[in-house]
Amino acid sequence: MKAFFLIVTILASTLLPTSGVQSENARRLFSDLILKAGDEDALIDQLAETGDPYVIDLVAAVRIGGLLQDPVTPDKLIISLDNQYAYLLGGETFTGDPASLDKVRASRSLRKKFSRVVSLIELASPDYQARAEAAIKIGASQKEEFLPELRKRIDTQPTNTLKEAFREALSLSLLKNGTDAEKLEAIEALGDLSSVSGRDFLKTAREAYAQDESAKQYLAACDTALKKIESHEKRVEFIGTLFRGLSTGSVLLIVSYGLAITFGLMGVINMAHGEFIAIGAYTVYVVQNQFAKIFEPGTFGFETYFLWSLPFAFLVPAILGALMERGVIRFLYNRPLESLLATWGISMIIQQAIRLIFGAANVQVTTPEWISGSFELFGASMTYNRLAVIIFSVVVIFMTWVLLRRTNLGLQIRATMQNRNMASNLGIPARKINMLTFAYGSGLAGLAGAFLSQIGNVGASMGQAYIVDSFMVVVIGGVGNLVGAAISSMGIGMVDQLLQPVLGPVMGKISVLIAIILFLQWKPGGLFPSRSRSLDD
Amino acid sequence: MKSLLKTLSVGALALAGSASLYAEESVKVGVLHSLSGTMAISETSLRDVLLYAFDEINEAGGVLGKKIEPVVVDGASDWPLFAEKAEQLLVKDEVSVTFGCWTSVSRKSVLPVYEKHNGLLFYPVQYEGEEMSPNIFYTAEAVNQQAIPAVDYLLEEGYKKFYLIGTDYVYPQTTNLVLLEYLQSKGVSLENIGGGLRKGDDGSIVSAGKYTPFSHTDFQQIVAEIKAFAASGDACVINTINGDSNVPFFKEFAASGLTSEDCPVVSFSLSEDEFRSLPAKDLVGHLGCWNYFMSVDSPENTKFIDGFQAWLKTTDVPGVVKENRVTCSPMALSYSGVYIWKAAVEKAGSFDVDKVRAVLEEGIEYTGPAGTMKSLKNHHFVKNVYIGETLENGQFDILKTMEGVAGEPFLKGTFK
Repeated sequence: MKAFFLIVTILASTLLPTSGVQSENARRLFSDLILKAGDEDALIDQLAETGDPYVIDLVAAVRIGGLLQDPVTPDKLIISLDNQYAYLLGGETFTGDPASLDKVRASRSLRKKFSRVVSLIELASPDYQARAEAAIKIGASQKEEFLPELRKRIDTQPTNTLKEAFREALSLSLLKNGTDAEKLEAIEALGDLSSVSGRDFLKTAREAYAQDESAKQYLAACDTALKKIESHEKRVEFIGTLFRGLSTGSVLLIVSYGLAITFGLMGVINMAHGEFIAIGAYTVYVVQNQFAKIFEPGTFGFETYFLWSLPFAFLVPAILGALMERGVIRFLYNRPLESLLATWGISMIIQQAIRLIFGAANVQVTTPEWISGSFELFGASMTYNRLAVIIFSVVVIFMTWVLLRRTNLGLQIRATMQNRNMASNLGIPARKINMLTFAYGSGLAGLAGAFLSQIGNVGASMGQAYIVDSFMVVVIGGVGNLVGAAISSMGIGMVDQLLQPVLGPVMGKISVLIAIILFLQWKPGGLFPSRSRSLDD
Repeated sequence: MKSLLKTLSVGALALAGSASLYAEESVKVGVLHSLSGTMAISETSLRDVLLYAFDEINEAGGVLGKKIEPVVVDGASDWPLFAEKAEQLLVKDEVSVTFGCWTSVSRKSVLPVYEKHNGLLFYPVQYEGEEMSPNIFYTAEAVNQQAIPAVDYLLEEGYKKFYLIGTDYVYPQTTNLVLLEYLQSKGVSLENIGGGLRKGDDGSIVSAGKYTPFSHTDFQQIVAEIKAFAASGDACVINTINGDSNVPFFKEFAASGLTSEDCPVVSFSLSEDEFRSLPAKDLVGHLGCWNYFMSVDSPENTKFIDGFQAWLKTTDVPGVVKENRVTCSPMALSYSGVYIWKAAVEKAGSFDVDKVRAVLEEGIEYTGPAGTMKSLKNHHFVKNVYIGETLENGQFDILKTMEGVAGEPFLKGTFK
């Protein structure tokens, strides 16, 4: 949904000349503020009064060094938006060399003031979530001068959510600036709205009332409100934990699903699995750099780089996986110890190769605008990049299920994995099938790497962080069982997130490992032990 | 193959020859850093800057007329190995001084070795204090030269709630305990210190803040907690996470909609050198506090940066990365350490450890890239403290400078 809005705004901004003269007033005030021409507070007030949404763009540009100055004519500011350079006043395009310009910065205190102006302007933002957040920020500042602004807007808000946000903002402010009756009403309103932002303000207010014998009524109201907020927070925390468990689980799932195929189905102890994850992530990095050469970063074309990189993030590791299977693994099918050592060696070779090509330091993969940010669901905040991982993990399960259960190739794969020699005797090209299966597993690892690049590090040894977890998931799920791997990764993710708030990240992780050891004592074959009729099992 | 062997042996002979030629007019100096393993990314830069300092001094005539002959050993991010290598430097190579160590645990591993053999070590990286070995000089930031000024700045800026987060080892744990005492002494209530407290059997607080293992990647829970903590405003985060865990932390932080205007993060382990591999756009506006920034505007600093860049272009030391190099506080303090040692040796007229120490304890002043530094009796230094905010290009914009802050290692229990 957000992505859609973004595309619309990007299209709109390229079609419509938003940098036209209608924002001239805001531009002039902004320029004066930066160049310190006039009284800062007065100018800030005037800038807020314009209510011009263009100010939001300007503030964002200053933040990332997009406001420039020609050393020859320092009083003419130049603004760079989406890599278009234009004079701030007048809006004419700057035709000189952008490299000759100096960056202009705003001081921290000025940026804080800008941030308040932005909130005020966003009170009328067409993006409802931004509007609600802005209202609450304004309310939490508890500044008396904003009261009329909030009062004026509350009744004209189009949705209930927005009305509630404005009511919350108003109550936050009234808690300090209102009359006694208004204060009492505000306390009750904050409780009814389960305002998390109001919690600390209520606590402070409660302390003050506790000193005052005559304020018993207020004290009681505060207590009730705080109780309501607390129970709301508990509920939000629970939903949040569920989402985070799901997200941690799906990260585990995507990193381990490739291994569930190469180790689980094929029986190869593949220590180089983590490095295929890294290769996938580096493929995204390479595609991103190529896109950066064609499109300017920040443009719509560049933003799509991540989607285009996905096929490559699958194919590059898949081809390398196929080569590895042909070159090394196929000689070691019945010798698990040797395959462990050989793949471990390969993993070190790949790591070192990555360091030689890309350098030892981690590389930066930018997150496209359309999967950054967060949204709220029942009060709990969720980020888009994590949501993308969850959706992707479902796709992976579905894709693999279709491949194995609904295609001829899948049938051949399953037959080969059960008994290589017998399948071969029946006319299945077992060698080819082995290679394709290994390539598919490696390709999945690469895709996992692509998504991990959006939430964490991209470095030569990034795979090492996931290899133990991957084996853990596959063993718990029952070796050879893909459904088991899916359930076990979700289970481990949930347990991890449920324990973390109670025990902390360090003890939480240790407890999960202990739980796994105990579980394997109880069920050595994992959740779904594979049954087989062959004699050596 | 044969010819390769030949060149190798000729090279080895030449090296041996030059080494013996050196012997009379040179002084051996140890460099003890991790050149492989997880810490290599940070520590290799210190090796580079030390070699640069030695070359610069040698060109200008050396120390007491003797050329510096560096003995570079690799601690390999392996703490017991650090102790072994230190022993090797002191006993086999008989170095006059060592510049080295990054993590506190590596310093703690070599400390007994230096005390046993009466060696001399200069330690350049910000640390937790509560230590003062007669054989170590700490050019590093003590807690009162980094964490406390940073907290002071945040208090001045009107922040009232502090969330403490770090990696689970001695530096973050100790620093946060000191900060907890300091914040309480400034009237911040326990309720407004986030991250959780752990109490010992006797009811005293043994750990403050939230800790993650090294290379932790999942910060969802913690960021959600910070978001709730910061919901009513005036909150900030004190970050002592080490290494590349910072990337997922800042990515999660930015993705959850928190910005540096709402809730700034002040990091003690992120310098310009680390920014080379961090997502800069997620870090804009967050704060740092060090005794040196690359953006410090002084002739000494310009000379240092230009000299280092020029050295990078001409050096033939294998493994030196030549592109996109920056300077940072541990580098500048390593470099300054070499010159302070040189000044002390020249004043003492000897390389003898006891004599050099005596001179250093009396006070040696040196003006370098990090401003004017002066050694103190407690083996720490008087230095400038800078607070800066991160720019999108991975540099710091200096917001505040505090001149002449004296390093003090023992802070626990001193705040009332």
